[in-house]
Amino acid sequence: MLLGPPLLAALLAAAVKPYRRFVGWTNALLSLVSLGAAVVLWRHVLAGDVLTSGPVEFLRADALSTLLALCVSVVGGLAAWLGPGMGGDDGYDGAQARRFRIFGNLFTLMMLFAVVSNNVGFMWIAIEATTITSAMLIPLHVTKASVEASWKYILIGSVGIALAFGGTVLGYFDFVNLAGHREAALNWTVLMASAPRLHPQVIQLAFVFLLVGYGTKAGLAPMHTWLPDAHSEAPAPLSAMMSGVLLAVALYAVIRWKLVVNAAVGTGFTDELFTAMGLLSLAIGAFSLVVQRNYKRMLAYSSIEHTGLICVGLALGPLGMFASMLHLLNHALAKSAIFLLAGRVLHRYRTTEISGVSGLLTAMPWTGGVFAAGVLAVIGLPPFGLFISEFALFRAGFAAGRPWLMGLVLALLAVAFVSMIGHLNRMLYGAPAAGVRVGEGSAWPLVPLGLCMAALVVLGLTLPAPLRALLTRIVEIAGS
Amino acid sequence: MIGYALEVAQAALALLLAPGLVGLIRWMKARLQNRRGAPVLQPYWELRKLFRKEVIVSNNASWLFRATPFIVFASAVAVTFLVPILAVPLPFDGIGDLLVVVYLLLLGTFFLSLAGLDPGSPFGGMGASREMTVAALAEPTVALAIFALALSAGSTNLGQIVARTMTNPGAALSPGHLLAFGALFIVTLAETGRLPIDNPATHLELTMIHEAMVLEYSGRYLALIEWAAAVKLLIFFSLLGNLFVPWGVSMALTPATLAIAVASLLAKLVILAGVVAVLETRIAKLRLFRVPELLSVSFVLALLAVTSSFLLR
Amino acid sequence: MDSVFSQLCVLGSSLALITGLILLWRRGVTAYISAFTWQSRAITVVTVVVAYFGPDHELYWVAGALFILKGVVIPRLLKQMERRFAAERELDPYVNTATSLVISGLLVLFGYAITRPLVALSHLPTRAGMPLAMGLVLVSLFVIISRKKALTQVIGFLMLENGLALLAVLGTYGIPLIVELGVFLDVLMGFLVMQIFIYQIHETFESIDVEQLSNLRH
Repeated sequence: MLLGPPLLAALLAAAVKPYRRFVGWTNALLSLVSLGAAVVLWRHVLAGDVLTSGPVEFLRADALSTLLALCVSVVGGLAAWLGPGMGGDDGYDGAQARRFRIFGNLFTLMMLFAVVSNNVGFMWIAIEATTITSAMLIPLHVTKASVEASWKYILIGSVGIALAFGGTVLGYFDFVNLAGHREAALNWTVLMASAPRLHPQVIQLAFVFLLVGYGTKAGLAPMHTWLPDAHSEAPAPLSAMMSGVLLAVALYAVIRWKLVVNAAVGTGFTDELFTAMGLLSLAIGAFSLVVQRNYKRMLAYSSIEHTGLICVGLALGPLGMFASMLHLLNHALAKSAIFLLAGRVLHRYRTTEISGVSGLLTAMPWTGGVFAAGVLAVIGLPPFGLFISEFALFRAGFAAGRPWLMGLVLALLAVAFVSMIGHLNRMLYGAPAAGVRVGEGSAWPLVPLGLCMAALVVLGLTLPAPLRALLTRIVEIAGS
Repeated sequence: MIGYALEVAQAALALLLAPGLVGLIRWMKARLQNRRGAPVLQPYWELRKLFRKEVIVSNNASWLFRATPFIVFASAVAVTFLVPILAVPLPFDGIGDLLVVVYLLLLGTFFLSLAGLDPGSPFGGMGASREMTVAALAEPTVALAIFALALSAGSTNLGQIVARTMTNPGAALSPGHLLAFGALFIVTLAETGRLPIDNPATHLELTMIHEAMVLEYSGRYLALIEWAAAVKLLIFFSLLGNLFVPWGVSMALTPATLAIAVASLLAKLVILAGVVAVLETRIAKLRLFRVPELLSVSFVLALLAVTSSFLLR
Repeated sequence: MDSVFSQLCVLGSSLALITGLILLWRRGVTAYISAFTWQSRAITVVTVVVAYFGPDHELYWVAGALFILKGVVIPRLLKQMERRFAAERELDPYVNTATSLVISGLLVLFGYAITRPLVALSHLPTRAGMPLAMGLVLVSLFVIISRKKALTQVIGFLMLENGLALLAVLGTYGIPLIVELGVFLDVLMGFLVMQIFIYQIHETFESIDVEQLSNLRH
């Protein structure tokens, strides 16, 4: 039920040769079906049972999978509703819209497949497929910049994924040598069960490969160089999906393996690696934000910064895990919404330079307002959800006895805060640039984005009980 | 006693065969190029002619210029005492292992380069600097390649290496051996001044490496140097043959095995001469800045050979 | 360690590594494509040897897929690209040839060092070739970083995948068949996308020199 709709939508888009608007609408409706299935899954997980299906427990959805499935289906739905080809003037012609619908849906399908697959080999295949499908969409408008961005993305992404494959092979090797038999050896449940008996050095080597490999896809420094280019040159709905959930899915893969390694050699090894790479990503993201002149690249560097923050949280024990997962959800919502808003701004102003965008509040008041709310959310101001998750992260850090680390993180977040507020101010106020049409245009796409902001506010004020239960279950999985 | 006599006989045989080897390669090349070619014994007649000719020495030359031919010839002859050409083990094995051989060869190259610089001629200086470029990469490769063999044999003593390979035939096909053979073959071409690194038959000074260094020599000095170069060629060929395909080398010092040893040595020399002749006919000389690339390839091959042998002990 | 099986595997792996070094030594695209083809063939032979001696009959299928995909299909596609881009030789890479070769020797040593726990752990007779496969992986990474032509980078990536496939075969007699087939499909798709992009780069930039791709900074 979860995986069906995107596949159907992709096939439909492929079948309808000159693009018709009903394809877009069907796509949007099908994405709601996926979302519904994810919610049903949530209820099952809260009730305590873990759904599996297929021979040899091929598909398996526990709490961690559910959280990510939720994120992916929400953002996929947003992209489906607000993507090209829904009618109206959005700057894309029929062929481009068709291409977006085909590959975008395949992209969503592969992400969902990655998070519900029990077999780490298939998880790898799915994530490699996400690289390929998303790369096909980056140069939707063929320009020098988008070609450059897509080349960097496919090359660095493929190399990273290949290294992750190396790590998977090494992990498989370790298991086979200790356990002897090979059927179902790539199932995550089997790996977890035999984790304490795995040879420490081999699994550590495997984890290094996996962290570097999947970390490349997640945007961890120093493998992040493709990210600002790809996220800024891609069309807005694709950027939303990539920044919001592709990074999350890559982190999901890292977390799955982290759980295996922690069961094998304890948490010290992975904690050090996560702290180091997380801090590096935070630092690079924060300092790059200061000199930004392009608002889409600004948002991309902010993604790098948040990924770094999530990684630091993962190194802080069970409280940190809770905080990181909450942050993952919040970030997915906020970042995808704001990228879609950036798309609207780009469509109106025809430039991605911050200096070219001025007077957003006067030209497009509603969009400007929601955009401001989004940026404030992303830099971690209350009353939005990210403030709560960052606060939880600090609490975890102090509880784990790492005050200096938290101080450093706070300083870096402050740097990012100041830079982005400055850029936002430049964009919101002042007179609109010449030749820019004043007035909102069609306002209905703002409705789902406004809903996202509202959800973030809700998450900032309270933590709904079902969500808390889900996150607690995830922490239990990590602890066991 | 017999051992020492054998050593002397081995050295004498090397000295005797060396010019013939050079003549053989030249003759094979000529035949491959559809020419009749000079007879195989031609280098002997050339040496005899040179010994009878007058020596002309430049006014700027010092004692180094006169001493070098003797030093080069002596080092070449010394190496023939230490390399397993005919039999194993030999009494001088105690002082002659891999590193001594490499250093003796380098000693000759070093003095020859100095002698090229000594008379102050521009071509001599050019040849000397080129030779040093080649030697800088080639000498470590020789050491590494033979070291790879030494690792699997457990000692750097050349006689022991041969003995160990003879008692363990399977090891001859191991990757360490094959890679070391490749590396050593490329280095042989470099050290003895063969194509694609240096053309021994060229008459254009700007393309010379070895010939440019000896341009100023004449008479018996030139004869000694040419003979030493031929002996170096024979030494490298016998290293290639006897270290990697050691069957035929005599382990006991009886006349029958020695006869077989001589015969197998001749066979290996002829085969290697054929290979080099075909190679020289087929490929062109590399441009000078490409030579370090080729030598780096051989260095990496030797490095791979060492690591292969190390892990497969 | 002396058995024929072990020797053959190590020979095949050495051949794969040496053909990888050709990418650092030669300059023309034709040489790179031949090196890749020979490397894929060497790895296919190693897979067949492991399938025969293992015995593990699934590996025959894997060997067949490897040969068809990387020995026939991809080289044919590469030759098509070569016809258009052969004039672009790797004349001025970021690291020159001699230094690249020495660095690759050091990388192979490093590969030996990090696979020591693997070799110590394994009981299979093929374990001696694993360091060579890891060396190939590291050398391919170096090729991707230090070369300027997009086509060379793609061939480096293909060799990286080859090295990992070899590691899988030598370490665990291959991974489960379904996963292996999925991996092959992914590699083929990835290569096709890269091919499309190289053509796009050529059209927009009039060359496939990735140094020209430097418009996006900060």
